Amino acid sequence: MLATETGMLGQVLLVSLVLGAGLPVLFGLGLRAMARGAGGDAEEHPAGAAPRPRPLARLLGVLCFALAAAGVVLGITVVVASGLGYEVGLGGGPLFVEKS
Amino acid sequence: MPVVRSTATARTVGAVDAATVILVLVVVVALAFDFTNGFHDTANAMATSIATHALPPKAAVTLSAVLNLVGAFLSVEVALTVTNAVVRIQETDGAPSPDLVQDGGEALLLIVLTGLVGAIVWNLLTWLLGLPSSSSHALFGGLIGATVAGLGWGAVHWAGDGGEPDGILGKVVVPAVASPVVAGVVAATGTWCVYRITVGVAARYTERGFRWGQIGSASLVSLAHGTNDAQKTMGVITLALIASGHWTSTTAIPLWVKVCCALAIALGTYLGGWRIIRTLGKGLIDIAPPQGMAAETASAATILVSSHLGLPLSTTQVTTGSVLGAGVGRPGATVRWRVAGRMGVAWLITMPAAGLVGAATWFLAHLLGGGVLGAVAVVLVLVALSGVMYVRSRRDAVHAGNVNDEWQEPARERRSATAGGVR
Repeated sequence: MLATETGMLGQVLLVSLVLGAGLPVLFGLGLRAMARGAGGDAEEHPAGAAPRPRPLARLLGVLCFALAAAGVVLGITVVVASGLGYEVGLGGGPLFVEKS
Repeated sequence: MPVVRSTATARTVGAVDAATVILVLVVVVALAFDFTNGFHDTANAMATSIATHALPPKAAVTLSAVLNLVGAFLSVEVALTVTNAVVRIQETDGAPSPDLVQDGGEALLLIVLTGLVGAIVWNLLTWLLGLPSSSSHALFGGLIGATVAGLGWGAVHWAGDGGEPDGILGKVVVPAVASPVVAGVVAATGTWCVYRITVGVAARYTERGFRWGQIGSASLVSLAHGTNDAQKTMGVITLALIASGHWTSTTAIPLWVKVCCALAIALGTYLGGWRIIRTLGKGLIDIAPPQGMAAETASAATILVSSHLGLPLSTTQVTTGSVLGAGVGRPGATVRWRVAGRMGVAWLITMPAAGLVGAATWFLAHLLGGGVLGAVAVVLVLVALSGVMYVRSRRDAVHAGNVNDEWQEPARERRSATAGGVR
């Protein structure tokens, strides 16, 4: 009787973990990269020698933020689409499938 | 107040039939439930953002209210079969059971009315105690109680048939146990990683960054809440309309029902259940911006993923689990497990308690003949109980101005401290 629920829960935990912990990680990486990119006092550094700005790290940071934002957009898409009676198919094939 | 107006209508009826009067009462009480649902759940989305000062309290509840309103309108899906999860008073297509509408729908309307009363009373009591508890569980509990009182235990839908998760087991028990655990694990993992990653980054960098992260993730939770929860009340009202013969379609919801429900939940959210916001934001852990962001992202992800995969988890229990997880995941943070324990107890007794109120009010209405008189009496009981709880809440009012005050345990000390001159 509980087999279906248990199986689904495993799935829910796995996907939630990837998205729910993955997005903060991306965001944290973005912040870290931006701070590194800014140089100076944005990060802790040995006294006296403030690091110079690193443009490449800043680019990496922007990339992380963009990915995180894409994750949020995906979330909103799922909310809106399922509200309008569509399912968002992420396993290839058409993106929006009408619910049965 | 709309409640007063409708009881006045009840006294002046002559030509209007009884079922119509009861229907009006059901609609008003259902909207009242929707309202309590809104202010009970503001905390889920906004408690952490308010506690970390990412948003000023008033701005936070306004943002949440607007997103709930938008969410309620976004959804065109018909949640007409909402009661089917726990009781059998409807056919599988959403139409009311034929034997319950023979007398013009009175039997079914009375069950729905007293079920809603049970849900509202419990929602208000947990609000008074500052405990986040699931509004859906309160609704289900009230409906189960009223159904058992009216139709006996045979009408309770205990478990699904092994396919889709269904019944009390699949729709209530499993999600209730799983929600805090799943969300807690996700939030703890996220929090731990975020602290590891941003070690050594200057505070002015992290503060501003996590502030935006929090606002974004909290908004997502609000939007998801609007699409899910307003639906339930819309479904209940439409069921009542069909039962009394004022609506026939089982695939559409009247526009005015949609507008009223959306406005009721948004207004409730805007007024904000400050007592619950305080417990969730300040009571469980002393929350910092990275924790807030990790917790809200974990909540949003868990809520969306679980309902997408067909096993919707309770918003309230998910957010509570997330906040606890954010406390566990930060090295050196303290979690006030006693507060968490009190919430756990509230969750356990939500369904039975709402059920008892639902059953008791059904018997009261039944004793009075079950018609207009019974329905009016039940609504008067609801108004009286709500009034008492509101007056009681004024004694140690929590509002936008003191929601972020330092948390003091136990609750008894807090109360005497407030009485002692803070105000």
